[in-house]
Amino acid sequence: MKIQTNVNNLKNYRIYLQVEKAVNEFLEKNNYLKVELPVLSPALIPESYLEVFETEFKYFEKKEKLYLTPSPEIFLKRLLVAGIGNCYYLGKAFRNSEPNSSWHSSEFTILEFYKIGVNYLQLADEVLKLLQWIALATNNKTISFEKWEKYSVVQSFAKFAQISQKELFNPKEFIKKAKSKGYKIKNATYEDLFSQILAAEVEPNLGKNGYPALLYDYPCQLASLAKLSHDKKTAERCEFYINGLEIGGFCTELNDVKEQQKRFIDQSLIRKKNHLVNHAIDKGFVEVLQYGLPNCTGAGIGFERLVMVFADTTSIEDLKLITII
Amino acid sequence: MRINAGNLKKSEFVFFQGEICQVQKADFYSPGKGSALMKARLKNLISAKNVEYAYKSNEQVEVLDVTSVEMQYLYKDNENLYFMDERTYNQFTLPISVAGEVSKFFKEGKKMFVYMYNDKPLTIRPPMSVKLKIIEADDAAKGDTVSGAKKPVKVETGAIVMVPIFIKIGETISVNPETGEYTGRV
Repeated sequence: MKIQTNVNNLKNYRIYLQVEKAVNEFLEKNNYLKVELPVLSPALIPESYLEVFETEFKYFEKKEKLYLTPSPEIFLKRLLVAGIGNCYYLGKAFRNSEPNSSWHSSEFTILEFYKIGVNYLQLADEVLKLLQWIALATNNKTISFEKWEKYSVVQSFAKFAQISQKELFNPKEFIKKAKSKGYKIKNATYEDLFSQILAAEVEPNLGKNGYPALLYDYPCQLASLAKLSHDKKTAERCEFYINGLEIGGFCTELNDVKEQQKRFIDQSLIRKKNHLVNHAIDKGFVEVLQYGLPNCTGAGIGFERLVMVFADTTSIEDLKLITII
Repeated sequence: MRINAGNLKKSEFVFFQGEICQVQKADFYSPGKGSALMKARLKNLISAKNVEYAYKSNEQVEVLDVTSVEMQYLYKDNENLYFMDERTYNQFTLPISVAGEVSKFFKEGKKMFVYMYNDKPLTIRPPMSVKLKIIEADDAAKGDTVSGAKKPVKVETGAIVMVPIFIKIGETISVNPETGEYTGRV
């Protein structure tokens, strides 16, 4: 890897600063507390597919493993349990084993925020207002943020991938359908094939009609840390897209301790199976959750991707003055 | 050669659903909640149609071992481009739809590289740039001093290229055939 200076990106970088300012203004105005957080942590929450950066603290013979945080969730949720209320973090996050591409950088900026007492669809309204605020601040008129173009996962798979609701919710039938479309099903799980079809056939069509698109109600297997709906078939989770690119997502946060613990164990097992870094699991986090995470919805937005929309660029690299490539 | 799909690159050739395709675009993509993917746009070299596909990044993909052979570009008709291997005098045909937009910038008699697999031509390996003479151009409107202003001109192969307004008829320019963009004066 090498260091590259790109002063030609100064114009885009100024838009980056405008978006950053607008986000801070909007969230402050709406009573969110900005929190600064560590990026080095002695333990993490197990996430099945995210590889982490591992380092070491050294002082004479004393040594301790530390990890760069792949998201600020581990800290923000502690603060939520402690009663801090609506809050957000806008800062660095790190994900290993993700090569730099036009949409990815292993070191990136994340905007993560939590709002108390609302569900995922209510937060969608707030996210739309945030986008409107940024468009105003950057004087960008290429996309209209008046409304969401909404699709449930069921609707989108039917429309863009010709997969029926019955096939979507029946893993066996879904895998059969994926095979008939030419996907390799050997060693592939339902979740893998869902992601493949979503990425290849559905996502390229989202947010292409001049409005941002909202994809909501994921099958329960893709719940991650989202609350399940009443019928337990879907998770209260959304992702949003502009020009076919996923910008961020949010979900009604799971606050059932038993269910959380079960999902942590499941995620750890997948990590082990995939030979990812065997990091310490933050037991304190699991403990804290027993005191009860308030009813809330959390959102995570890839900040560079968000800026790309307002700077009209197609690559993260176009925003940076210094890149490591 | 088998590789991880995560290492696929633009211009490589793969078998997809039993047919040979060329990778037009390959981007690493991690949905965050699920295994990492390689999003690819594959061009089927028989139907000339593009298909979007997402490989798991650790999926094994067979990349075809192709050779590129220098040939003389002879001419084209409505459907095909005709080439000749100058060492063997064998002639080869390639559909224009497969070669794509780049063929608009090919000059008869010029040498060009053609990707071959099992003695069959797959597609063109486009040169970095081609030199073409301008055969039609309007004079720039007087007083148009906007920096970076461009105008369309016709080059000797019949293609239209956007060039800076100071370029005149009869001049030779270089063009990137893949993007169709003007890259300089020759």
